[in-house]
Amino acid sequence: MTNAKLQAIIDSAKRDWAAYQSDGRQHVRICIDTSSLARGGQATLDALRAAVAARGLNVDVGTGGSWGFSWMEPTLTVRSAAGTRTVLYANLTAERVDEFVDRVLAAGGDMPELALGVVEGTSTPEVPLLSDHPFMKGQVRRLMANIGVIDPENIDHYIALGGYEGFGKALEMDAEAIVKEVVDSGLGGRAGGGFPAGRKWDFLRSATAEPRYLVCNADEGDPGAWVNRVLMEGDPQLIVEGMLIAALAARAREGYIYIRYEYPLAFARMQTAVDQAYAKGLLGTNILGSGLDFDLVVFRGAGSYVCGEETGLINSIDGYRGMPRIKPPFPAQAGLWNKPTNVNNVESYANAPLILRNGAEWWSTVSTAKEKGTKMFTFSGSVNWQGCVEIVYGPTVREALEQYAGGMKDGKRCKGFQPGGPLSGVVNGDELDLTLTLDPYRERGLFLGGGGIVFFDESACIVDLCTYFLGFCEAESCGRCTTCHGGTQRAVEILRRISLGGGREADLENFQELVKTLVWSNCFHGQFAMTTIKTALKAFAGEWTEHIVEKRCRAGVCPGLIEYRVRSQTDAALAEARAICPTAAFVEEGGQWRVDDALCVRCGACREVAPNAIEVRDRLAAPIAAGAAAGA
Amino acid sequence: MQPEPTLEELRGLVADFQPGRGHVMPALHRVQDRYGYISRAAIEVVARQLNTTPALVYGTVSFYDDFRTHPRPETEIAWCSGPACRLRGGDRIREAIQQTLELPLGGESEDHRYGLHVGQCNGTCSEAPQVWVNGEVVGNLSVSAAIRLAREVKGE
Repeated sequence: MTNAKLQAIIDSAKRDWAAYQSDGRQHVRICIDTSSLARGGQATLDALRAAVAARGLNVDVGTGGSWGFSWMEPTLTVRSAAGTRTVLYANLTAERVDEFVDRVLAAGGDMPELALGVVEGTSTPEVPLLSDHPFMKGQVRRLMANIGVIDPENIDHYIALGGYEGFGKALEMDAEAIVKEVVDSGLGGRAGGGFPAGRKWDFLRSATAEPRYLVCNADEGDPGAWVNRVLMEGDPQLIVEGMLIAALAARAREGYIYIRYEYPLAFARMQTAVDQAYAKGLLGTNILGSGLDFDLVVFRGAGSYVCGEETGLINSIDGYRGMPRIKPPFPAQAGLWNKPTNVNNVESYANAPLILRNGAEWWSTVSTAKEKGTKMFTFSGSVNWQGCVEIVYGPTVREALEQYAGGMKDGKRCKGFQPGGPLSGVVNGDELDLTLTLDPYRERGLFLGGGGIVFFDESACIVDLCTYFLGFCEAESCGRCTTCHGGTQRAVEILRRISLGGGREADLENFQELVKTLVWSNCFHGQFAMTTIKTALKAFAGEWTEHIVEKRCRAGVCPGLIEYRVRSQTDAALAEARAICPTAAFVEEGGQWRVDDALCVRCGACREVAPNAIEVRDRLAAPIAAGAAAGA
Repeated sequence: MQPEPTLEELRGLVADFQPGRGHVMPALHRVQDRYGYISRAAIEVVARQLNTTPALVYGTVSFYDDFRTHPRPETEIAWCSGPACRLRGGDRIREAIQQTLELPLGGESEDHRYGLHVGQCNGTCSEAPQVWVNGEVVGNLSVSAAIRLAREVKGE
């Protein structure tokens, strides 16, 4: 028996949705998310609205989240006036809007050159089914089921498509039963730990102190990961409902969604979602007459990676420096304001409505032996497609790379990948047969993190990558532990010295010493800061020897091991190379131009504009092939 | 540039925040959203409103990279420090922009016309390597294009 007030809300939303779906108009829904905005989405939307108005077309133009084709935004769907056919289009720039409106909206035809596929209805030879698109094949879209379909700023859309049904079921259950359903589902934490979410809720439920708090960790700070952003920008109510269910299960009174500063649109959409839930009586006091009180606050971070560590995040909400606390006590005993607190990832909460609505058994049907349910991943780096997918754990990295990332850019060999953030380590490209499951990484001292996987090719230098990730860890260290703030600083100093040509064989032992001492740090940040170096020393051993002993950088990246030289005095582009140089490093001697090594900063601009006049050489004076340097 | 806010304005702006409710960060955000930065006076006003000390509030402000204690420059280039950008020459772009603007990361020109900020990856990695100019993405940069952009910003 569903709560009568909730049933009325659901019935009303379904009626409105049905009326909207049969209003006899074409419906356009364009993705406006951070990726789309970076690629001119707002200009496309403005042009689209203007073109529709100018032609007097009776077309509904709405906005939505991302289908995951982040590298081809702006994407948009067009649903036919009869509602029988929906096509997904990509890469619609403002310049092509007029043509698009004429051909697709006014004439009712397809525009195959921009079409990704038919979402619903009949395909044609030019526009195949979207489900046959290689990027979509094999995906299991549950969390992403609504994304791109609904307006994320309209709670009624969410409700009409099954939203809050899970909460409705939870309202009729006691706390133990909700916990049991989530435990039975096998839902594990989605930030890389994999700890059973239901058990965490149970810790909070059985805590004795009051009040208890829920926190949603939306501080997705791993560079190269944007799965939480896709969820929050595309279907924010899923997180609100998930936290409501957790509130019932854990008997929490108040919740916080902590969103990183870099996600202003996600923050705005979550705030809108929370405001709309309050307006419907789904948040606040005595929710739907059930006696449940739950307040939800959308909280904005201010730029700090360690606030992704749960106790750093709690300190940040408390108003302090976001320094992770010393555990124990754990948040379940003493979290926000030293009261019992449960912290889960965005994806963890977002799965709860699906589990409650459809049952633990349904939810866990898509699974590996250990990892239940689906997981969202984003792929970036030297790949063709930088997108977001939702899949069942278990494919090999090679399969994921080929199918969902479109393979390596320019068909280059995959030199390696990072499985989940700057603390997760690096894996050699020889190991692409590892599966996307938790164990293989754990066994190697790495971990599969929040979902951001970064691939790199042979143009990347392993010393440079380590310098980057250790530099990140150094900059983001909270400063509490000497092992961490001092250790990362020391590691970066050594790496820089190696890249400048001053590598010593003792450095490898120095690194091992740092590996051993950083694990003593208080929190994950320090404990895992050396993972990149530790794993890279093994996986790319030869490259370290080259740098330290031979003083060679095979990728042509390390500034002290390479030099830029003028190869041709007569090449016409040489003047351009001299003009672009930001340090005026080109000097003339006796009518001959040369690069002053002391002034040259190895930015490579000269070789970009004059590839035939400028060459990069290493210490052994063997020319490095053009295009070998990163990004060239 | 926004004028230095008066104490009265600042007090009014944060008057609804309360001690012990997790309001330090929201109060600081509201000040920064309004004025672009958090002045010394704002730190004292927020501390008083929330019944804490300027030292603690300053401790919070200084911990986070995106709280600012000075007004933004007229034109700000935020360089994306993410891995996808790095793999496509992002660090060479940083070096070139720094040399062109003659600024360190986090620095700004003496006349406040332009500055260089460290940006964090927000997952628009198809645009790598990228910078944001006053918040707008300028992507798929080459080093030479970044130098031209920086020279334009500098007024050269």
